[in-house]
Amino acid sequence: MISNRVHELYLLEGLSDRGTAVHRLHPRAKLIITFVYIVAVVSFNRYDVLGEVPFFLYTAIICAIADLPLRILHKRFLIALPFCAFVGLTNLFLDQNIAFMIGGAVITYGLLSLIAIVLRTYLCVMAVFILIATTPFPALTRELRRMRMPRIFITLIEMIYRYIGVLIDEAASMSTAYKLRSVASKNIAMKHMGPFVGQLVLRSYDRGERVYAAMACRGFGGEFPEHTPVRMTVNDILAASLLCAAFVLLRLFPLLNML
Amino acid sequence: MHKADAILSPEVGGGMYAASAAAIAYAVTKFRKDDPGESKLPLMAVSGAMVFAAQMINFTIPGTGSSGHIGGGILLAALLGPFAGLLALSAVLIIQCLFFADGGLLALGCNIFNIAVIPCMLIYPLLFKRIFSPSPTAKRIWVASVVSVVIALQLGSLGVVAQTTASGVAMIPFTAFLLLMQPIHLAIGIVEGLVTAAILSFVFAARPQILTSAAFGQKGTKDKGTVLLSFMDDTENNTKPAKSLKAVIIALACIAVVTAVVLPLVASQNPDGLEWSLIKLTGSTELTESGEIPLAGTIGAVIIIAAAVASGFIIQIVNKRRKRR
Repeated sequence: MISNRVHELYLLEGLSDRGTAVHRLHPRAKLIITFVYIVAVVSFNRYDVLGEVPFFLYTAIICAIADLPLRILHKRFLIALPFCAFVGLTNLFLDQNIAFMIGGAVITYGLLSLIAIVLRTYLCVMAVFILIATTPFPALTRELRRMRMPRIFITLIEMIYRYIGVLIDEAASMSTAYKLRSVASKNIAMKHMGPFVGQLVLRSYDRGERVYAAMACRGFGGEFPEHTPVRMTVNDILAASLLCAAFVLLRLFPLLNML
Repeated sequence: MHKADAILSPEVGGGMYAASAAAIAYAVTKFRKDDPGESKLPLMAVSGAMVFAAQMINFTIPGTGSSGHIGGGILLAALLGPFAGLLALSAVLIIQCLFFADGGLLALGCNIFNIAVIPCMLIYPLLFKRIFSPSPTAKRIWVASVVSVVIALQLGSLGVVAQTTASGVAMIPFTAFLLLMQPIHLAIGIVEGLVTAAILSFVFAARPQILTSAAFGQKGTKDKGTVLLSFMDDTENNTKPAKSLKAVIIALACIAVVTAVVLPLVASQNPDGLEWSLIKLTGSTELTESGEIPLAGTIGAVIIIAAAVASGFIIQIVNKRRKRR
């Protein structure tokens, strides 16, 4: 069960190694597009379902162009849902002012805001997934470095990302060993958690020192060598500015509200 | 619990980004000064990954039948020191946000602040280190861990409530939200504090130098003898308080920035928020039909969704045909 998570973790990265038009777009362009998109979606007021709907075009069409497996992404979207759904449901109960009625059905402002919150959760989560599933992780971190994020911090993110798989394997084998010795218990007992994770800490610590020694032997001085930067092409700039302009226009002049 | 984008306004998200970025930048400069060779980097990476892995191990909470997992702020600070701990935990949060949608991209600033900055920069130097450091014993570790984790989680959930209310997407009134969140996080905090204490006291029994060097900032000491000696050195010419004072000042500055950003927003967006929500709660809502049916808009929305799904399908089919050729 734990090792499933390893598979899940590196699944999105596996998708990023393709050659569709979305994958070929420059990482910086995709970062900018994603950020403008999320800010535009989130800045609508809490009842504005109609304003948010046109933004669905972006996720639907880009997912199709990039040939992303929707079922997997949707499953992962469900992880993000509970807290937002909770807030949406409290809105449903707290705001029972009637917005309008369709036939016999009463549509309250609370219901509108519930729909708006779930919709924008979906849109924001999908936008991030599109970014990650179409951009190889090293390309993304390289771009973050060029955007003046602290180098040490980016190196740390890269290393943690790589080591998660290793340490999950380690934790999984320890938990298998534990379960084999303790019949009829699904989880680890809380009183055993200290020695268990403590053991994991010590193993990790030793591994960290061995890793450092190995890296120092190979000439690591705190930073990975820099690749020659890939410049943004005219197409990248064009795509980014067109999409961002579209998002801003849809935000400023919500199409459906003006009908 | 990680905040998502959907219940956040861009202003609050941006303000918290600035606060967390400042904290990370400060931690990076401190880390560079303490460890110019960056020999600690692999250790931080492995520890961060360890917290990620440990979060996947569910344990059974006695008496309740429910299961929990560890959070890791105080744990990482105690193992690595506050600055390295903050960097490692922030990196973990970024990875969780990008790959698991656990917390949104815009909400990243909030999450880093609530989950990493508060325990590492505020609680660790102010509480954990104070309780733990005069003469480290196993008992002190237990007290320090439980107290710090509980208070860190209370502040963290207070942050979540404040940021959510300031964003004005959720309608649940501030006090009601607070009364809901704080007790839940008190329970979580006690369990997590006990587990953190158990882990740290195990590590302390096996290798005390890991915790003491994180707290007192020594480098390159490995076997127990020298550690004990240098540790005694360290307590004798204890010049460290100035350092922790600086951390406190920085943390307070961060809080000042946050309140400066957040409070005006609360005031401007929702001038009589509490009053308004009290009326809501007592149920004196007038059922007034305030709007017309946005018929054209609704039909437009349906058409757009249909068009989006249809174009998605068409593009997929075209792609498949192209592949076959």
